[in-house]
Amino acid sequence: MGHRLTTSRLGRRSVAVLAVASVGVLAACSSSSSGSSTSSSTSPSAKGSSGKITIAFNMGAEADPFFIAMNVGAAAEAKKLGVNLIWQGDPSVYSPATQIPIADQLLAEHPSALVIAPTDPAALQPVVNQALAQGIPVVNVDTHVNDISKVLSFITGNNQQGGAVAADAMAKAMHYQSGHSYQVVVGMSSPTTTTNVARLAGFKAEIAKKYPGIKIMSVAYSESVAATANANVNNWLTKYPNLKGIFAIDGTNATGAAAALQAHGLVGKIALVGYDAYATNVALLQQHVFAALIAQQPTLEGQMAIADIVKYLRSGKSKAGIQHLVTLPNIVLTPSTPASVLAKYTYPTA
Amino acid sequence: MSSVTDKPAKPASTAVAASPGRLRSLLTNQQFLLLVALAALVAYFTSRDSVFISSGEVATMLATFSELILMAVGETYVIITGGIDLSVGATAGFAGVVAAFAMRDLLAGHSPEALVLTVGTVICAAVGVGIGLVNAILMNWARLVPFVATLITLGAATGMSLVLTGGAPIGADAAAINLAAARIGPLPYLALIVLVIVAVCWVYLHLSRYGRYTFAIGSNAFAARAAGINVRRHTTSVYVLSGLLAGLTGMVFYMQLGSGAPSSGNGAELPAIAAVVIGGVSLFGGMGRLTGTILGALILTVVQSGLIIANVSPNYSQVAIAICIAIAASLQALRPQNRSQT
Amino acid sequence: MTAQGQPLYEARQISKSYGSVAALIDVSFALYPGEVVGLVGDNGAGKSTLVKVLSGVHAPDSGELFLDGVRRHWKSPHEAIQAGVETLYQDAGLAPHLTIGSNVFLGREKLRPGLLGRLGFLAQQEMEREALADLERVGIAVPPSNRTVSELSGGQRQAVAIGRAVSWARKVILLDEPTNHLGARQSVEVLSVIKAARDKGLGVVFISHTLPHVLEVTNRIVVLRLGRVVRDAPTAEFDAESLLGTITGLIDGA
Repeated sequence: MGHRLTTSRLGRRSVAVLAVASVGVLAACSSSSSGSSTSSSTSPSAKGSSGKITIAFNMGAEADPFFIAMNVGAAAEAKKLGVNLIWQGDPSVYSPATQIPIADQLLAEHPSALVIAPTDPAALQPVVNQALAQGIPVVNVDTHVNDISKVLSFITGNNQQGGAVAADAMAKAMHYQSGHSYQVVVGMSSPTTTTNVARLAGFKAEIAKKYPGIKIMSVAYSESVAATANANVNNWLTKYPNLKGIFAIDGTNATGAAAALQAHGLVGKIALVGYDAYATNVALLQQHVFAALIAQQPTLEGQMAIADIVKYLRSGKSKAGIQHLVTLPNIVLTPSTPASVLAKYTYPTA
Repeated sequence: MSSVTDKPAKPASTAVAASPGRLRSLLTNQQFLLLVALAALVAYFTSRDSVFISSGEVATMLATFSELILMAVGETYVIITGGIDLSVGATAGFAGVVAAFAMRDLLAGHSPEALVLTVGTVICAAVGVGIGLVNAILMNWARLVPFVATLITLGAATGMSLVLTGGAPIGADAAAINLAAARIGPLPYLALIVLVIVAVCWVYLHLSRYGRYTFAIGSNAFAARAAGINVRRHTTSVYVLSGLLAGLTGMVFYMQLGSGAPSSGNGAELPAIAAVVIGGVSLFGGMGRLTGTILGALILTVVQSGLIIANVSPNYSQVAIAICIAIAASLQALRPQNRSQT
Repeated sequence: MTAQGQPLYEARQISKSYGSVAALIDVSFALYPGEVVGLVGDNGAGKSTLVKVLSGVHAPDSGELFLDGVRRHWKSPHEAIQAGVETLYQDAGLAPHLTIGSNVFLGREKLRPGLLGRLGFLAQQEMEREALADLERVGIAVPPSNRTVSELSGGQRQAVAIGRAVSWARKVILLDEPTNHLGARQSVEVLSVIKAARDKGLGVVFISHTLPHVLEVTNRIVVLRLGRVVRDAPTAEFDAESLLGTITGLIDGA
């Protein structure tokens, strides 16, 4: 799952705010956002165009780096297989309130298939049901609706495993030795962001299993604001002079924590493990500001979703060879990871 | 005139009530109570962990304060005119992002850091002024109320920040981070610059004709216009000032983070408005002191940092701020001006 | 002392509508130096609209204004004030959160000498002092002026507003309901202030519902009904009964 830049903060605002925000953005950059990345393959009368397969791809916030990277993978695969791709989501708001009307609009265009990353498992279920009733096959990526029994496949990343490998990476960077004690802290976006919760659970479980000397002193929330994440880490650095590790559980926390370590001259002295392979984070990894970065595989998720759909449609709707549930592992990147591998996992920006 | 001057025209003054008692006036003096509250908070957090008043922690809090106070100052001017500016946070984020693109390119071309930061500051200021102008245009020409006009720019600026950056931070400027962290004792240089700007804004609000017009418009816009004040031009300049200060906040964010993060202004208008309300500035306009806003922003900063230093669950942070606002708002209702107006 | 020579301030065939409602229809009206003209009419007759046209708040849809014989097009109240026309608006003339001195000098602030003044800094104490002196000079006693107007009684506020208008006026004073909300004693004070202004040679337009005040202080009375002037005659030609009759329409205008 993406780090949901917009979820916790914007998601709590009233629908009115969200609506105005979208209107403002749409007005400001009218045609540049929706479908721009694949504009060449967007077709106005999707299904009717000479039998060519048209896949509608719908997500929460299009501008989330996670989805931008997913778009890159999906678009490349669509081009390779010679199918149309309609890529559409709200430009910046991750919320069912904005996703549902866009999904309905996409279905009204009668695509050959729908790939959807639902912002809410219950709220988007009717959209999936309607697609299936129209004979449109559905794939879930990243997140899923409540009933995935009739969904062709569900492709996602493994956040719990990501949390666990973060603990391993941190222990390694701290040169963990049993019998010693290590103070660490965790920066989250909010107590309810599902990706954050899964990562923290994996992190804690791994520590309990393998690293009894690691003690989580404190958890604080950034509300998805990098400046707040930065202030949180600055405060921790005063509070815990013997701090050994920081788990920055998503992109904003990674940005804030990296700046705090640099400001205090503690680069290399505190093991900072961050999430999400933005280009800036990867650059900071190479400067050893991060001890490790945990990367998701949004590009691969997008690519696999398209591949599954096309295989299904071209094989006369046979599910043979299509795995119903695919869980892609999160990848650990360290300063010693070869540049070519770093480049592979760095989130592309279209 | 001769028939009047010798007239004993005294009756008017007799109707004024006796001035309130010293104790009551002290108890209803918002600034005094805020100072007491601030002192109590500092004492409490220090008792939980004495590191709270160490120079390193004070520097951290001043850095956080610097991210908030400029927006709160602009908001104070706007609210005193009887308006509201919801776009300050989004403006800060957007300005920081736009400037970060330019600064990243300059750094890539090996421009000296001083030049890079100067250019960045100018861009932040220009973006802020531009959004302030858009707010004023939406209000003065499209006839939107301030709430709606600035809600539109809030949405537009937030969205454009995300679309431009793809959600990821722009740039990795370690030199800027180090400059922002440089300090004399507990006072970061960056905070010093911010405090100078705040002081200038204080002086202009309370001692200059510009400030007088700001209060007059919020107190009675018709009277201000009838007295010859160009109300439309003045409110335009106030929203531009608010935009300018928000834009400069974008530069403060950039310096502390070493990058332009599109998320940095998300929701930042809420603490800015909260600081103003806690400071006792009337949301109906015409009344308030910038000193109150400064104390309000200090309280918010102390609570945010203190909860971490005291290792209190961050879930209480919102509750603590809500309590501050509730107390401040009830104090306003007790004020003599508000009572005698009814 | 009335109706001699050139009018000080003159309105010719002024019309003004708000949407489909015609507030003023072909209203003509002249004010001479040293004269108090009463402007009376029922609610909705157009009195306040006429004041707003004369003071530059609203531009008329048609018609002409002449001050000292010069055609004027006020673009804002500021221009009218600059030209010597002061106005007291009904219940809306003061900024309640500002001090008395700040209100008296609103829009005409005194700045500090030298560089500070050029930077826009106020000579506040000087303004407070002068405001007090100005108000006393026109016959209005007020409490110490560092109080805000919101701390004053209704009568005191009205006194400050009138004092401000009279002390600044150079040619014309427009007073919209100056004796509203005032007790008998304060009203007497206000009327004497008006007489003093008249004796200085200013032209005063006095709008009021309190007909005895109108009959006492004015030289001439203009009666408006439904946006039109129905009678314009010397005060001596009216008594309380005939004035009321003219306002309500029971007696036809001449």
